[in-house]
Amino acid sequence: MVDYGWATGIFLGVLLPWSAWLGVLRPVLQRVVWVIAPLALFLIPIHSFFHPGTTVLLTIGHFTLTQEGLAYAYLILSRLAVLASALLAFSLSTTPAELATTLTQQGVSPAFTYLLISPFQLIPEVRTKAATILAAQQARGMETAGNLWQRSRALVPLVVPLVLGALVDVEERAMALEARAFRAQGYKTSLVQIPDSVAQRWFRWGLFGFTVAFVGWSQWQFFTSRI
Amino acid sequence: MRFSERLKRDFSTTTLTLIPLAIVLNLVLGQTISLLKLPIFLDSIGSVLVAILSGPWAAAVTGLLTNLIGGVINPFFPAFAPVAIVVGLVAGFCAKVGWFRAWWKVTLTGLLLGLTAALVATPIRVLVFGGVTGSGSSFFIAYLLATGSAMVQSVFAVTVLTNVLDKVITALIAWVIVLRLSRRYISRFPRAENVLALENAPTNEEVVR
Repeated sequence: MVDYGWATGIFLGVLLPWSAWLGVLRPVLQRVVWVIAPLALFLIPIHSFFHPGTTVLLTIGHFTLTQEGLAYAYLILSRLAVLASALLAFSLSTTPAELATTLTQQGVSPAFTYLLISPFQLIPEVRTKAATILAAQQARGMETAGNLWQRSRALVPLVVPLVLGALVDVEERAMALEARAFRAQGYKTSLVQIPDSVAQRWFRWGLFGFTVAFVGWSQWQFFTSRI
Repeated sequence: MRFSERLKRDFSTTTLTLIPLAIVLNLVLGQTISLLKLPIFLDSIGSVLVAILSGPWAAAVTGLLTNLIGGVINPFFPAFAPVAIVVGLVAGFCAKVGWFRAWWKVTLTGLLLGLTAALVATPIRVLVFGGVTGSGSSFFIAYLLATGSAMVQSVFAVTVLTNVLDKVITALIAWVIVLRLSRRYISRFPRAENVLALENAPTNEEVVR
């Protein structure tokens, strides 16, 4: 028997209350629906008609809708709801700056935290640049509509200036980092301190242990069910 | 050179500043060109650039972080992180053996990238997403299923087609961009020899002309 109830149970019993506790229940729900709905639109018909099954619910022409197919589509969708809501609850309740500070305090190398954080600051900058380049090329008569050949000719004038412009910034940024002793060894203090209690530490280890145990258990179930 | 030394050289300060920009290019370019309504996503051009300039390991990190950070925009993006990592690695090794030095070699690199990306993406699509990703390609998958193909084959066929086209164009554009960079600029990167070693490689002045 496949774990039909597990994903639904974790979604309704753990992830939604957790999002509510974090104060992000509304945006999490909205965005889960927003990403799941288009998938459901394809998943449900594709699997209800093409998944191998014997319990026929409905026949349309050559195609038969089976209960097994419908159940499989539900299983996939409920798992995706777990995946999406867990990630969304985390990303909607944690700012990149908090994440960076926490990681550094936990001993993650500052170089890695820099890689994780600076894209968030760069995205709006590069987006503005992209809009400027688009406007400039359109002002020069670049076609963004028409047949496939006309549209693909616009690819290079849009992409190349944007990438070259971004690459030029790299040197400047590298020098700025070097000037601020980015690569210096030794102890660095942080302006912001994120509190971390013993209880939280234990809770994290507990979650990690639970995940390992759960994955092990489900794998064991999977392999013994095949024998 | 020992592997740890190689890594230390690869992840120079210049590389560390290139990677975030490459991540942002991976994330933003797809949106920028979406108005052209072309059947490509161009979401790995930054990784390929890092692969050429800073090697496979830096490119793999770029791919991984692109998909983790993209998770803030779309929570299903991180599921495809293995694909982005493999694309970075393969592009890096192709660059190392000189496959970014002539247009036809770059096309071969693109083909290889498309194939490996599809090989890694297919099991993720089938097992995690039930073979469906909610885009136009799902119609083709449904069509193939209706004509009697199995799920894995249908998904692989569609993924290979879209990925090969996307990666060939990605590799070619990345190559064009590297050709336009000055020698002085490229030489600041740890894997400059990937594109500079060849004597008859066009100099910057020739490309501009």
